[in-house]
Amino acid sequence: MALKSKSKYEDEYVDPVGKSVPRIEGRGIVTGQLKYVFDVYFPNMLIGKMLRSPHAHARIISIDTSKAEALPGVRSVVTYKDTHQIKFGSNEYFFPHTVDQMALEADKVRYIGDEVAAVAAVDEETADAALRLIDVKYEVLPGVFEIEEAIKPGAPQIHESLNNIAVILPVNFGNPERVMKEADLVREDKFWCPVAHPAPMEPHVCVGQWETFTNKITLWSSSQAPFKCREALAKTLKMDLNDVRVIKMAVGGGFGGKLEMLPMDFASCLLSKKAGGLPVKISLTREEEFTTTRRKHGMIYKIKTGVKKDGTILAITGEVLADGGAYCSYGPTVLAAAIMRIFMVYKIQHFRMSGYRVYTNNPISGAMRGFGGVQSGFAIESHMDLIAKDLGMDPIEFRLKNITEPNMVTVNKMILTTNGLRECIEKAAKASGWVEKRGKMKNIKRGIGIGIAADVMGSKMYKSHESAGAIVKVEEDGSVYLFTGAADTGQGSNTALSQIAAHELGVSYSRIKCKAGDTEITPFDTGSFASRVTFISGNAALLGGRDAKLQILEIVAQDNDLDIKDLDIRAEKVIFKKDGKALMSFDKALELCYSFKYGKQIIGRGSYNPKTTPIDFRTGEGNVSGSYGFEAQIAEVEVDTDTGNVKVLELWDAHDIGKAINPQSVESQIEGSLAMGIGYTFYEDLRFKNGRVLNANFAGYRVPRSIGMPKMTTIMVETDELEGPFGAKGMGEASLLPTAAAIANAVEDAIGVRIKELPITADKIIKALKEKSAQKI
Amino acid sequence: MQVNLTINKKLYTLELKGHETLMEVLREHLSMTGTKTACQETECGTCTVMINGKAVLSCITLAANAQGDEITTIEGLANGDVLHPVQQAYVDCGSVQCGFCIPGMIMSSVALLEKNPQPTQEEIEYALDGNICRCAGYPKIFEAVREAGKKMKSEN
Repeated sequence: MALKSKSKYEDEYVDPVGKSVPRIEGRGIVTGQLKYVFDVYFPNMLIGKMLRSPHAHARIISIDTSKAEALPGVRSVVTYKDTHQIKFGSNEYFFPHTVDQMALEADKVRYIGDEVAAVAAVDEETADAALRLIDVKYEVLPGVFEIEEAIKPGAPQIHESLNNIAVILPVNFGNPERVMKEADLVREDKFWCPVAHPAPMEPHVCVGQWETFTNKITLWSSSQAPFKCREALAKTLKMDLNDVRVIKMAVGGGFGGKLEMLPMDFASCLLSKKAGGLPVKISLTREEEFTTTRRKHGMIYKIKTGVKKDGTILAITGEVLADGGAYCSYGPTVLAAAIMRIFMVYKIQHFRMSGYRVYTNNPISGAMRGFGGVQSGFAIESHMDLIAKDLGMDPIEFRLKNITEPNMVTVNKMILTTNGLRECIEKAAKASGWVEKRGKMKNIKRGIGIGIAADVMGSKMYKSHESAGAIVKVEEDGSVYLFTGAADTGQGSNTALSQIAAHELGVSYSRIKCKAGDTEITPFDTGSFASRVTFISGNAALLGGRDAKLQILEIVAQDNDLDIKDLDIRAEKVIFKKDGKALMSFDKALELCYSFKYGKQIIGRGSYNPKTTPIDFRTGEGNVSGSYGFEAQIAEVEVDTDTGNVKVLELWDAHDIGKAINPQSVESQIEGSLAMGIGYTFYEDLRFKNGRVLNANFAGYRVPRSIGMPKMTTIMVETDELEGPFGAKGMGEASLLPTAAAIANAVEDAIGVRIKELPITADKIIKALKEKSAQKI
Repeated sequence: MQVNLTINKKLYTLELKGHETLMEVLREHLSMTGTKTACQETECGTCTVMINGKAVLSCITLAANAQGDEITTIEGLANGDVLHPVQQAYVDCGSVQCGFCIPGMIMSSVALLEKNPQPTQEEIEYALDGNICRCAGYPKIFEAVREAGKKMKSEN
């Protein structure tokens, strides 16, 4: 059958998978037309504000809101009395006792910034004035701010847990104590990993509306996980899931900080209800963002390793103490990830490490990009370099001797299938000129160092399942909707998922419009975290595309008296599988579906739940991810020994990403990770005194800026993951994990000093150099 | 007080109290929400607009003080449906991730390139140092500025 006329889509068709198609939102972003929640202004919209505790630890004696309520322009004031006093948390499935935060606290406040009340008024000035009129009487309690102080008997008790330890995670395999005795060398190190903050450019913002008579809640949210936010809202407000609609608009960055519902989300809905259903917008100031939203856990990481002379690791033991702050948030699972990531990277049979998630009266620690892996990455990769040095081995040779391999099961039952770690190390080494440079640039105070890492693609640590759904709906004119629950927070998932769906459906990418992250109209998705979206939501998009395609082919087969098994849609045409010859165009096939005769709506459905098993937190066993990504990074630095200034000259990053669906986006993710890694290495350090944040702004909390960015070379290693959509694994976090260690290792190569406490500042370098020269004398 | 502002070559007459910043006026009085802000205290560059060709922070510029000036915002760069070369380069080079910093980043880039279409790497870094991008780590932003500069030079 000859094709009558070609559509514009046939002319322009290119296989979208593996192509750097521009971001769907690109033109909206560069013109300012893309709308964030920050840009939402409704008529009659009220401005909401949170009243926060000025004390790090205090008992609430009384709250009097009468004066605030009487202020002209104030529309509603809420306290715990207006709530069901239901606690929320993020590890409710595995650690129910860690569900410990209330949206508005009733009895006690536990950090400076803890939410006590909220107001909604006609404008910001009135809302601020109303906050000042709320009279809260506190009985101030002694606070505790250091991890090692908090766990001492007799320390102020923040919750009901013994010695302020919310969670103890014992991870034990084999018999490390016995095996350690057989070691030729045992080395022990202690590291400090400071508190960082996600600091997205868009501070948390929401607009809540509770239509009182229809009992319908809508929250326009900057969430990374709209369905998780909906679940927490529904639970704490005692509503059904379908009473609550969370609409994720464009999100101005999240990096883990926007993974959970915050009290402001809850309060905006409650304020709206009390104000007769008017929408209430709450936007955090930059100071509130730094002081009251989730931060990275500060960790003391102690690690001890026994090795044989030839470099074989025999056993590892250790202890991790995490500063959790006032509430648990994602803390238990962050801690688990900080301990268990090592099994993806190194072959270990004998292991014992205990993790302690400790309450303090500091702000709340939770998820931040890397999820425990940035801290453990710094500690472990610094420690491994020190062992290699003690053994007189090249750090790469030492790592190659101990790394995991393809098709192996780790001691804690993680199933590693494709594993490009060796290839990543070898390619990064080659690109950086490792052999020519390592140990050979001391005369010019330059050095080169490596760090390696691995990461999950999703993680069964959220609830009983972590599935993703997709709907691929083909309209009568051949334009296509992809509905996905996945939350694009800027990483480009709408684009990548559309590429995947278009390829599988067999049509041009430009036919597709993506609608994402609206809990009322898109299928469920757990959200953007754990580098899961390309892999898990990508598989759902693929299955949705496939289902839509089969529905079209069913009609074509029926109408032409053919067997559907012999047909496919590729490059805008219905083809015969056996010889690739075209039967008809996609448009023609669609005309048939929407004809008088058939009138068949094409609505493809995809649902994917990775083949994983949850971790048994009593043993540490579990195959938490359907696929694992790997990573090697090399840094070259130059140190000015007069000023202590360290300049990163270049970073090489080789990343096993399975297959790059959109190479430009992959590169951009890696570059963003490297920049954030540089920030954590040199200056990102949220500092505290008695629970008060000392540097809650961009002047005090420095983040990477354009000056001083090194050259970045990215190397994509494609291992073609069998379980991934077109071979893809997830990515986006792994490249951040080894950066601090790679730089610290390069500094030691350059000038022979070792920094074990981040950030690496000029004064620490000078101090270390002085200590080193004192030792020589 | 009555304030006359020339924004993107159009004249707007507004009744203001006098203390409003240009950012507030753009976003809340004129619904021009393309201009964002991420700190409101001059540290992030997100609110950058151009006044008389110079990159200026709208969060600390009093609107009333900008009377008689040529104010250009992100909404005023494209020519009809055709993107400004800097906007187009940001799309083509994949320089955007979340996009929240991008309007400000583009205004700083345009202010640089209008004076100096072939900046050195150092000149680009200095021109953009006041604009924080938290997502993308800058290499693709530098690339867009270089590419746009080439196009702007050849167009002149």
